[in-house]
Amino acid sequence: MDVQSLFVGLENSPIGVFVKDKAATFAIIEAVHLLAWTLLGGAILATDLRLFGVALRDTPSKVVSDNSHKLFKIALTVLLITGFFMVAGVATKCYHNFYFWVKMAALFTGIVFVFAIKQPILKGDHDQLHPLTLKLVGTSSIAIWFMVAASGRWIGFS
Amino acid sequence: MLNRLLVDFAQWLSETEWSVGLHESLYMFNWLESTHVMTLILSLGMLIVIDLRMLGATFMQVPASTLAERLDKPMMIGFALMFITGIILFTAIPVRYTNSVWFRLKMILLVCAAVNAWLFRKHMLASAATWSTDAKPPKRTRIGAALSLFFWIGVVVCGRFIAYDWYDCGKAENSDFINWAAGCVAPQ
Repeated sequence: MDVQSLFVGLENSPIGVFVKDKAATFAIIEAVHLLAWTLLGGAILATDLRLFGVALRDTPSKVVSDNSHKLFKIALTVLLITGFFMVAGVATKCYHNFYFWVKMAALFTGIVFVFAIKQPILKGDHDQLHPLTLKLVGTSSIAIWFMVAASGRWIGFS
Repeated sequence: MLNRLLVDFAQWLSETEWSVGLHESLYMFNWLESTHVMTLILSLGMLIVIDLRMLGATFMQVPASTLAERLDKPMMIGFALMFITGIILFTAIPVRYTNSVWFRLKMILLVCAAVNAWLFRKHMLASAATWSTDAKPPKRTRIGAALSLFFWIGVVVCGRFIAYDWYDCGKAENSDFINWAAGCVAPQ
């Protein structure tokens, strides 16, 4: 089965039909998706702005990153679930949409970055890390997640 | 009377060169809307972290007032940019927004959120010394934070729903209440 058939099958599945059957269903899922984005944004920015030394400078960066990561995991879970339902409703449109694939690539990069690079680095003692390392982690994180959000918004315009 | 004034103003605005240009631009509207959403993520993201701390749900090791003060600046920068882009976006499609139930509800919720934030901040500044380091702030503070989250969730949901034409003026299936809430007036 090729990727396109998979997307067509998803749109015609009971989940796809449920989502696109009524405009309100899609709109409500979309609103929850956006709300999860604000939580994710808060979690990422609180950590990254602390790593930059821009905000919360009098709070240990480890305390900020540990607390933020818990919020990040909740937000990401909601985003992935609502995102899956949203895609199911307009799967064939997504398949042909360039920005959808940009978002998926950025999202994959973001998830790998957080769980394989950012968290392992921030789990340790931050005083042992070079300040530049912390700044680099913060910059990369903001850049990747900005890409995910921006490309996601652009799906609707194209 | 008020609706007629609002719609007449929106009509005049929609015929200006600025509004037509923005509405018909190939990318400008999209860039503005994207900036609006990005700054929403920044401002509301900071606000959610602060409100969750006030509810005693996260960052319990950090004094509540410290967290609120330190995240205040990025939050206010986000809010400022969000309001500016929001006003510009309104000028692009003023008639539709003026007659949108969701837009009107969003504006009401924004005012509620602003009043709540003002009262909340006033109370926090006056009493933070007594509870700021507590993992769970006093009831009044928690109610303020819960209301803040409620109003802002409403703002986001209504903002998202503006894009849908469910209750646009002129729809035969609209009830009298919807036409009243949307401020539909007979075309002149």
